[in-house]
Amino acid sequence: MSRGWRLARHTAAMLTANRSRTFLMMLGLAAGVAVLSTVTMIASGTRRRVNDLVNKHGLDMLMVRAGGDVQVFAPTADRGIEALFESDARAIAEEIPDVRMISPVQNKRGITVVFEDRSHITRPFGVAPPWIDIRRWGVAEGEFLSDADMAGTTRVALLGAGVARRLFPEGGAVGRTIRVNGDPYTVKGVFIEMGVDAGGDDWDDRVVVPFTTSSRRLFGRPHLEQIVMLVSDPRRVAETAGKIRELLRVRHQIGAGEPDDFFVREPADVEGAALETSSTLTWLLFGVAAVALAAGGLVIMNLMLLAVTQRAPEIALRRAIGARVSDIRRQFLLEALMVALAGAVTGAVVGLGAALLLDALGLAAASPTWAAFALAILSCGIIGLLAGIYPARRAAAVEPAAGLGERKLA
Amino acid sequence: MISTERLAKSFCKDSAVVPVLTDITVQVGSGEFVAIMGPSGSGKSTLLHLLGFLDRPDSGTYLFQGKDLSAANDDALATVRNSEIGFVFQQFHLLDRISARDNVMLPLLYLEADDDCGDARAAAALEAVGLAHRASHFPAELSGGEQQRVAIARALINNPALILADEPTGNLDDQSGADVLERLEGLRQSGRTIVLVTHDRSIAERADRILLLEHGRIG
Repeated sequence: MSRGWRLARHTAAMLTANRSRTFLMMLGLAAGVAVLSTVTMIASGTRRRVNDLVNKHGLDMLMVRAGGDVQVFAPTADRGIEALFESDARAIAEEIPDVRMISPVQNKRGITVVFEDRSHITRPFGVAPPWIDIRRWGVAEGEFLSDADMAGTTRVALLGAGVARRLFPEGGAVGRTIRVNGDPYTVKGVFIEMGVDAGGDDWDDRVVVPFTTSSRRLFGRPHLEQIVMLVSDPRRVAETAGKIRELLRVRHQIGAGEPDDFFVREPADVEGAALETSSTLTWLLFGVAAVALAAGGLVIMNLMLLAVTQRAPEIALRRAIGARVSDIRRQFLLEALMVALAGAVTGAVVGLGAALLLDALGLAAASPTWAAFALAILSCGIIGLLAGIYPARRAAAVEPAAGLGERKLA
Repeated sequence: MISTERLAKSFCKDSAVVPVLTDITVQVGSGEFVAIMGPSGSGKSTLLHLLGFLDRPDSGTYLFQGKDLSAANDDALATVRNSEIGFVFQQFHLLDRISARDNVMLPLLYLEADDDCGDARAAAALEAVGLAHRASHFPAELSGGEQQRVAIARALINNPALILADEPTGNLDDQSGADVLERLEGLRQSGRTIVLVTHDRSIAERADRILLLEHGRIG
């Protein structure tokens, strides 16, 4: 065993022997690493969730919303802006060759649906039959709207899984008659459970009726909240979006320099907005972690500086029995490094637990990643070395003859 | 073993230079037991530190085993302390958190080459001071006399030629002090050179020779 290895083993044994001091020294760093690894795992989980989201929304889906604001997840189109009409949807279908499927969309919040003595306030949507494929959704029971429903302006409705549970807790919704805003509708189907999207919309809390029914009967208005469509070539989605923009500006007679009265959402907008939503919090937590790590480093440095004074007799004894100045310096550096790494491992384990707990509670998406551990070990290694340099120099400067005058040893 | 000529050492105190040792010329032969005696503040411990290379003189020459180490660097002196000199202090200077055996083995940490027989040597050293049965005990579990015997075992582990003892019985009761002195005399009989610092004449008289230090000079 080499001299360096012997010293490393001895240092580890001394740290273990002085458990409470070691624990106090590593506490700050462990807290910092716990936050850091939690944040890293949540960031990684969020990235994965966003990827899933983008894939779900489809790289080939475009959405036009009424109103000129940037609307990715929080549409102002729902505020009754009269800018988009079914004729716009027809014009897009006819004049933009790359659009292969399209549906007008109307919706309105706060509509009451009733079955017998049960009622629920929800958000009906009026859409055309291609909508279910454009939104990559599916029907669990019954079937989706047909062209005949559109042509006949029929009073049929599909229920989100949550609405179905609320009105029909025992199941058997299909074929029953419910009242939507007071009018009778036959339940034609129940959607597959979808959950809440990145914008906070609960897809299971929806009722879908034919667009013709919504525009002529349920809402009694021609203007739309959205037009959704699929394009044939996802690689040219941005180009197609540009063509739609041009077309709508002409149709809406918007002059040069005037702002759009609609917003075309592209797949990249979804990704950007989803990441933006989480990035502020992520950076805030990274900041907290950085402060905690720096504080942890300072704690180690200060406690070690204090220890150098307290341990002057020990240092002097070591010098007396043959330790070189470099041995003392190395011992204190190793102590700082080992304490920091112990803090890193403890913090990473706690962080993993916290991230998994947050994930299990549905408060955040966490994805355990080696990057979090690597980051913890690396950052703590650097902090440990930096925190150890000054105390190690001070320890190495203890004069043996002077230090042996002290009484107490650690 | 030890030959000094006109060694001098002074310290700075409140920006004034205070001479502690002046014109120290001493010879200690191999296997000799020498006591350095003097009142408090006479410079006994400082002289012991110079002889043990824990400090450097301001002037004068010091030949250790015939070699002048005044130009040697700190690392070389650390090696000499590790392999040629064993220290015994008044305060024992044991590490509280490790066992007697581990305290005894501390000097092995700083050996140049690895020592595969460390455990056996520690056991032998503890045996030599009559504490083989207390090897796994912590210092707090030992009496003062036992702690000093552990310190002697630590001084012996690298089989040094010279033992430097600074008031080794100063913190012990009479019986424990007598026991420690017997151990030191035993070491001398095994061929080691002993230099012991004390202010107690009855202890000094057990040495072959007494060097009286007064006001930093050998009297």
